[in-house]
Amino acid sequence: MLASILASGLAVGAVYALIGITYNTMFATSRVMSFTAGQLGMLGGVLGSLFILRLGLPVLPGLVLTLAACALLGVVTEIVAVRPVLKSLDQHLYVLSTLALALMIQHTAALEWSTEPQPFPRLIGLGEGIWEEKYWLPVAACAATILGLEYLYRRTLVGRAFVAIAEDNYAARALGLPERNLRMASYALAGAIGALAGFAGGQLLLAFFANGPLLNFYGFIPVALGGLGNNRGAVIGGLALGLFQQAANFLVGGIFSSVAVFTLFILVLLAAPQGLFGAAAARRV
Amino acid sequence: MTITRRGLGLGGAGLAAGSALGLALPALAQSEPLRVGWLAALTGPSSAPAVGFNRGVMWAAEALNAAGGVKGRKVEVITRDTQGDPTKAVNATQEMISQLKVHAIWGPTNSGESLATTAIMARGKMPNIHPCVVNSLIDPKKYPNAFRIAPSNIQWDDAVRNYTTGVAKAKKVAVIGDTTGYGVTAANDSAAGFQKDGAEVVYKANIDSTQPDMTPDMLRARNAGAEAIVIWSVSTGMIARMLNTRAKMGWDVPFIGHPSLSSGEIAQLIEKPDYWKKVYCIGYRSCSFDANGKLPPRNEELLRKLAGKINLQDTLLWWVACGIDAVNLIADAAAQTGSTRNDDIIRYWNGVKSWPGYYGEYSWTPDEHNGYPGQDVVMSDASSGRNGAFALAPGYA
Repeated sequence: MLASILASGLAVGAVYALIGITYNTMFATSRVMSFTAGQLGMLGGVLGSLFILRLGLPVLPGLVLTLAACALLGVVTEIVAVRPVLKSLDQHLYVLSTLALALMIQHTAALEWSTEPQPFPRLIGLGEGIWEEKYWLPVAACAATILGLEYLYRRTLVGRAFVAIAEDNYAARALGLPERNLRMASYALAGAIGALAGFAGGQLLLAFFANGPLLNFYGFIPVALGGLGNNRGAVIGGLALGLFQQAANFLVGGIFSSVAVFTLFILVLLAAPQGLFGAAAARRV
Repeated sequence: MTITRRGLGLGGAGLAAGSALGLALPALAQSEPLRVGWLAALTGPSSAPAVGFNRGVMWAAEALNAAGGVKGRKVEVITRDTQGDPTKAVNATQEMISQLKVHAIWGPTNSGESLATTAIMARGKMPNIHPCVVNSLIDPKKYPNAFRIAPSNIQWDDAVRNYTTGVAKAKKVAVIGDTTGYGVTAANDSAAGFQKDGAEVVYKANIDSTQPDMTPDMLRARNAGAEAIVIWSVSTGMIARMLNTRAKMGWDVPFIGHPSLSSGEIAQLIEKPDYWKKVYCIGYRSCSFDANGKLPPRNEELLRKLAGKINLQDTLLWWVACGIDAVNLIADAAAQTGSTRNDDIIRYWNGVKSWPGYYGEYSWTPDEHNGYPGQDVVMSDASSGRNGAFALAPGYA
């Protein structure tokens, strides 16, 4: 039982963590919580299945095309649902605009793909039992993403520009950084990360249009637990959520496991409203 | 004779009243088409059944018209796509009653829509046939116009319970539903039925159908000593995950329950075809192959008639057969009574006894509008689908 909790808990947790990172990546350059994050995860599974199973492409081109398609969708999100509402962030119009786009994506997937879950292919064929690839692939994808982002943010000029925009976009603009282009690039990056979450977790979650809201919701919890904008916090929060959820499935089961998850979530937020790893927001007085 | 102004006025009023009372109607009624309203969720997430029903509806209408119609009157099917949305179903019902003036309505074909439209049809005294399983949709006192031509939930429940305890000889059962309203209600009713019959429900759960790993629930069911798993869910993803988990646990417990256990989607989602063995779903004797691979004679004949005209590979035979029966029942009411008045159609249906349809032999009385014979609800071998029909599960003569 413990092995099973660890295997599937870490796998699902890694998917949640990646969606959390998707939220953070979009938030960093725009201060917008885009609710298309879960739909990008859903599309990662659907497009992966489409390219590899239906169209018969090899795994690597299938992965590249999936990431590219979702990166493009990330850019479209920035143009259609984020840019028009940036001037009135305090009115939180982005909630409506990004939710509307998320719904459009979900309905399009339902109409054009299927309303029933579809199979997702075995990608590598390595491992059996609790070492099956469907359990370790999401964890590996999450680790690779975190390492890649650390490298990007610390060692590359573009990454440092992202950080500069995230820290203070007015100052960054004053220094001549192309804020709009960087924001679009960060949305493309977020699209690819969301797609990777769905692709790596495809064997667990299947290629199913209804995964979008689920990932939106459970992917948001690591962000809240780990602190908004904190990727390491999102990873720890996501893995903890996956493990707790799977343990609750074993111990109490069914509907009660969801109740247990949300009870814990509320308790944590009551104790640490800024998230476990987030700093309290400074207020100018 | 002198024609006075008063006489002319009275005569005109008399003529108008006579027309209103129907004195001039017979000539009109005999020539106008028999209008059948068809509320079908042809698109949207739950469209598969209506697509199947629709093939039967159109085939039946064409067959009737090719044979000269109903006493010379053409059968006109007026379809509205409700998309599985109760609001759209309500709007279409209102339109059919008040504007299109249909003579009877077939559908809706899912319970959510039917719950919304049944009372409206009752208010309009509109003769209605539907195949929805929710028990409360049929009540001859509240809805004297509504007739069911498919089993009710109670009949499904009885068939599953009788097979589980009587044929599979399981005395300890796990009852599992999904977390939808239907899944919760059906699992509760089923568990209560098993307990009433003296079987032990050792495990009962409602599982979120998107839960990626079914190991926890399957382990609990096995540890509780379940000898059969009874499933109440339309989620093929959840069912396939449970079948994959059963195989990986090396457990050969039978799965018995909802017709979705036989959905073609499951074949794509299970890891090996063998994982679909020992799975028995609700089916119908009229649409089941016997040990020789034959359907009952009436439906063997139907298959021959449908060959090359209707694709049965991606649908279920009972959906098509039920659609044919619905149109024929409406046409038969008009033919036998020589009328398309609401009261006449309803009165005719109230007297139907063992009406020989392709899907079943229906009987209704003024006090019982559940028309499907309970003994014809059987269990099928879920993985044996061919031409939209299934082999009888082991244990049937």
